[in-house]
Order: sequence, then C-alpha cells, then structure tokens
Amino acid sequence: MSNTNQIPRRGTLARAESRQALGFVSPALAGLALFTVVPVVLSIVMGFFNWPTFGEKTFVGFDNYVKLFTQSPDFWPALRNTFVFALLYVPISVGLSLLLAISLSARIRGRGMLRVLFFIPVVTPMVANVLVWKMMLQPQGLFNGLSQTWFGVELPNFLADPQWAMIMVVMMSVWQGLGYNMLIFSAALEQLPESVVEAARIDGARGFRMLWSVTLPMISPSLFFASIMTMITALQVFVQPQLLTGGGPGNATQPLVQFIYNQGFKFQELGLAAAAAWILFAIIIILTALQFRAQKKWVHYEH
Amino acid sequence: MKKIHVGAMAVATAAALVMTGCSNGAADASSDTIVIDMWAGSQSDTDALNAQLAIAQEQNPDLKIELRTAPWGDFFTKLTTNMASGNMACVTGMNSGMLSSYTEGFAELTAADLKTAGLDSADFATGSEEILSNKGTMYGLPFDIATMLVYFNQDLLDAAGVEAPQPGWTFDEFEATAKAATTDGKYGFAVGMGDFQWQALPIAKSGTQPVEDDGTLDLTNPDFVDAATWYSGLVTDEKVAAPVASASDTGWGEAQYSGGNAAMAVDGTWNAVTYLNNDSGFNAGMTTLPTGDNGSLGLILGSGFGIAKDCENKDDALKVLGSLLSTDAQDYIASSGRSYPARVSSQPLYFESIDEQYRDQVEAVFTKAFEQVEGQKVSDNWSKVGTYIQPQLVSVYNGQESMSNVLESAQQQFGE
Repeated sequence: MSNTNQIPRRGTLARAESRQALGFVSPALAGLALFTVVPVVLSIVMGFFNWPTFGEKTFVGFDNYVKLFTQSPDFWPALRNTFVFALLYVPISVGLSLLLAISLSARIRGRGMLRVLFFIPVVTPMVANVLVWKMMLQPQGLFNGLSQTWFGVELPNFLADPQWAMIMVVMMSVWQGLGYNMLIFSAALEQLPESVVEAARIDGARGFRMLWSVTLPMISPSLFFASIMTMITALQVFVQPQLLTGGGPGNATQPLVQFIYNQGFKFQELGLAAAAAWILFAIIIILTALQFRAQKKWVHYEH
Repeated sequence: MKKIHVGAMAVATAAALVMTGCSNGAADASSDTIVIDMWAGSQSDTDALNAQLAIAQEQNPDLKIELRTAPWGDFFTKLTTNMASGNMACVTGMNSGMLSSYTEGFAELTAADLKTAGLDSADFATGSEEILSNKGTMYGLPFDIATMLVYFNQDLLDAAGVEAPQPGWTFDEFEATAKAATTDGKYGFAVGMGDFQWQALPIAKSGTQPVEDDGTLDLTNPDFVDAATWYSGLVTDEKVAAPVASASDTGWGEAQYSGGNAAMAVDGTWNAVTYLNNDSGFNAGMTTLPTGDNGSLGLILGSGFGIAKDCENKDDALKVLGSLLSTDAQDYIASSGRSYPARVSSQPLYFESIDEQYRDQVEAVFTKAFEQVEGQKVSDNWSKVGTYIQPQLVSVYNGQESMSNVLESAQQQFGE
C-alpha cells in the first residue's frame, strides 16, 4: 500500500520537475527551433519544389535532384572541383602543418614568434589574403615580374589557366589554413606524457622510429580531429575560389558551394540550390561517418 | 512520446515566431513610412541620395521617407531576398540591365500613375521610357541615362605619338590607335569583362544586339559572332590588349585603364567624371564608340526608380517617386555632375558642372553618342547568360577557347 502511494508521488514530483525544466530550457529550444530546425526543415521542403524567389512555387518531387544529375551543365564539374580540391588540400594541409608543428616542437630559438607568423594568415581576413595573392600571381604581378627579370622566363597566367587556377586555389588555401592545424598539433605535442616518451627513449627509440611508433599514435586523436575538420571545410570551400578565380576560367574552379550560391542568389532557383545543398550535406555526412569508422583502426585514446 | 511532445511544441513556438515576424515585416511596409531602396557604393553616393531624399521630403512634408542603401552587387542580392520575403521597399531603384530578372517585383507604371506622380514622360530624353521597360511594359522611369564610350589616356597616346581619337571615328582608326599605343609594356586597349563593357564594341561593329526584339537570345547571330571574335582577337591575335588575369577581375578593362596600364577602354558615361578626375593623375579623354560598315549602334542604359508591386500606399510612393524625378532633384543630380540626367531641361546643368577644360569635349561626345542609341534588348534569363559567359571570357582572352564556341554553348544552354 505504502509502496503504491510512494511511487506515484515521486512520479508527480518528477513530472513537475520536468515541466519546470522544460520552462527553463524553452528559450534555448525556441532559439534552436527558429534558427536551426525551421531553416533545415524548410530547405528539405524547398528541395522538392520549383522555388523561384518570387512568384509561383510548384511541387516537383525529385525533379530538382534529377535535373542536377542529368541536365545541369555545371553540377558535375562543381562536384568534381570540390573533390579535387579536397583531395589535394586535406593531405597537404594536414601533412604540412604536422611537419611544421613537429619542427617547432623542438626547443629552438624564436619558435614562439614563428608560430605567431604561421598563425597570422588564419586571423587576417580572407579578402585581404586573396588580394595579396592575386597581386603576386597575375601576369603583371610579383612572381612573373621576378621570373622575367631574373630568368627571362614568362610564367603562365596562373589564375586564367584551368589547371594552374585550381593548383593556386589549393596553394593559397593551404597557406591560409596551415596555422590552425599547426596549433592543434603543437598543443598535442606539448602534452605528450613524459613517462611514455622516456620509456621509449630508454628502449632505444630515436628519430623516425620515435615519431612513427610513439609520437604519431599518441597524437592520433588530434590528427583525427584535424583531418575531419579540414575535410569538412575543404568540401565547403567557397571564398577562396570565389575571390581568387571567380570560379573560372569557365567553371574550372567552381566548387559545389559556389554552384549553390549561384543557383540561389544569382539565378534565383532556390529549389535547385536547396537540393544541391542537401547533396553536399549527404556527401559530408557519409565521408565523416566513414572516417569515424576508420578511426577505430588508427586512433588511440589511451595514453 | 514526451520527446515528440517537446519537439512539436518547439516547432509550434517557432512557427508562431516566424509568422509574427512576417506580419511585422508586412506591417512595416504598409505603415505611413515610404522606404526608398537604392544602391550606394560610397559615402558620397549616400550623401547624394540623402540630398535627393531631402528634396522629396520637402515636396511631401506629410510623408515619412526613409532611405536604405547597399553597394551595387549586394543591392540585387538583397532585393532578391526582400522580394522573396515580401519586404521590398515601395520605391526601389532599378537599372536597365538588371530589370528582366526583377520584373515580378515591380508594379506596372501606367499613364494614370505618372499623373499621380506629377510626371510627364515627354519631359524626359527620347528613349527614357524604354530604359525600365520590359516587353512593352513600363516598370519605372530613369533618373539618369547612359551609354558606352571609349575612354583614352591622353598621356599614353602622346607618348606613343598617336592623335587623340575624335567623335565619329572609325573601327580602322580604333585598331590603328590601339596598335600604335601598344609599346613600352603598355597596351593600347583593355578588354572588358562586364556585359556592357565587352559587348559595346561587338554591338557597335555588327550593328546588332545579341537578343531579338521579342526577347529571344540571338548570341549566334553571325554578324555578332564575327564582331565578338574580332573583339577577343584584340588580345589573342592583334595583341593590343592584355589577357585577363582572373575571372574574379570583373572590372578588368576599367581597372587597367584607370591604373594607367592601357591607353583605351570602354566604359559607361556614368564614369566620365571619375575618369576625368582619376586618382592616377593622367589626362583622360573620351570619345564615341567607333563607327564601322554597320554604323555605330549604342545602347541607351540608365537607372531609375519603380514601385513595388506589393506596396500598400501606392499613391504616396508615386508622389515620392515623382519628387525623386522632379526638376529639383534632376537639377541636383546634374549640377553635382554625378550622372547625366534623364530630364532634358536638366541636362545642360550637367555639362556646366564639368571642369571647363573638358566641358566642350564632354558635351560634343555625349551629344554625338546619344544620337545612335536604342534600348537594350534582354532575354528573360539575361543575368544567367552573363554569369555563364563572364568566367568563360577569361579562357577566350587567354586563347584556350574560341569566342564562337562560348557564344554557341551559351545559346544552346539558355536559348531554348
């Protein structure tokens, strides 16, 4: 009897508490709903509509997706460009910043200043970065000028040549993003447990052996984090090609996000843009999921 | 179960918030404030707009008038968003080249509307009614009119020992001048990337626009293709112009010219004063587009104001529009030398505002240039065509693609 009495009473209290809790979180929930859930749901809906910014909206089912894959002349190139960019950018960026972090982990003079120097491009506005790179790369720019006066060789018109343009976009992006990953790796390297390092050293590990068998496995969580974040930003690349090459020449450097931007804001086809955005989302989620599955094989969390 | 409940509640709250947000926006548009939305790229642009707003305010003391501005590029992105969310300003700025994508947002301007606004289209320059018209429907009236000119750098021409071109010159003279001025690492000409800038010479040379009267895209018109191929050949064959560095250099020709790297470039009359007072400090001059076997066809362009379709105080908005295009406002634009007014009676003030040493040249060139103009014809997807062609032009100017291929594939994609 007392048992049956007590249980409902605790239940009432819990219910009251959860109601109060709901009251407390509701501002946050409302914000989340307004700025995240609603736009996300709306964009799913938009993907199934012919949705001009102004005028009649009509339900078209999967037509937008079909149109993207079969009719749109720019969609496949944009997809290809995004993958080419990511395939070039992620390994180079992670590799180089790891190299930098390791070189700067030794107690050399002025390493603090060097770290700041490498981090500067991350904090300067992208527009300024791009402007400087453009001034160096254009035919009347620094590189071509130097090459002509020193070697008498005329360099290609980097940003107007389909192959070079993509390479330059990657180069500029690597330079720009290097400092961020370097900082992550530096932090991980600083925190290597002395005991493990010492034990390895006593066992005779040196140089590359030490790096490969001890250091890298121990900073593998940071490596994993950096490569996932770098991959996601690489797939979402927009500003660098938009400002440096305008997606050109032709559509040689137009990535998926710029394609989405053009569809939505220049051509006013919001339905098509939303559909393309969801394709990008699916790609990112799948690749991230694959990376999470693969991490079990190479990421070590126990120190 | 509970989770679903919470979710449903959150969505309902959000929906309610969104709805109130929307209705607020609508209420704002229907209140007694008339909003003017216009592009302004600099503080001086904004100051000039405020001066015009002051004139409108003085003429309509009982109305509350408010100005919203954004730079040229962002203005149209913002307008797209405003149109979609029903927040378009009652009086919205529009440009002849952009109108076709935005006609759905604007109300037709009828003769009765003009009367309410206190305007008579006979007071405006010939062709003014065409500027903000699309397929025979008028959506606005211009405050300025413009056409394309060839600007030249007198210092570079002098250094190369070439005569300054005179209004009414020919395409042969143009080529000869460009060739002669290509010396010492400077180029005789700079090619354009913007629609108006690059198409001006091909249109003048071929005497035809790449769009038919009914708005059908006609990029593969043989005359136009020939003229456009000649134009890109200035870079690839004649080598009198530098190849463009990047597709993001959308103002390439103009920048090369004002930077003193090229002796000539094509740009609109709207930049005449800017070039005459250029920062690089060279002596600038201007002349008409060259004349060829097919005459020297130019486009009459311009910017003006229209009334939003969903504006709730249309009559008040019309009054504001009337004031913005009134003699006072037009006189202000003209005498400040900002742009060439559409109102005929105000036009002389524009020339008076120009420095005495250039005044006669500007007046002669403007008068001659506006003699052979027709309204710009655009297809419904004209801005898409431009967006497609622009990055392709880089490949054309760098010799990796031919002009005829680009025009043909654009025609195939957008011509239907």
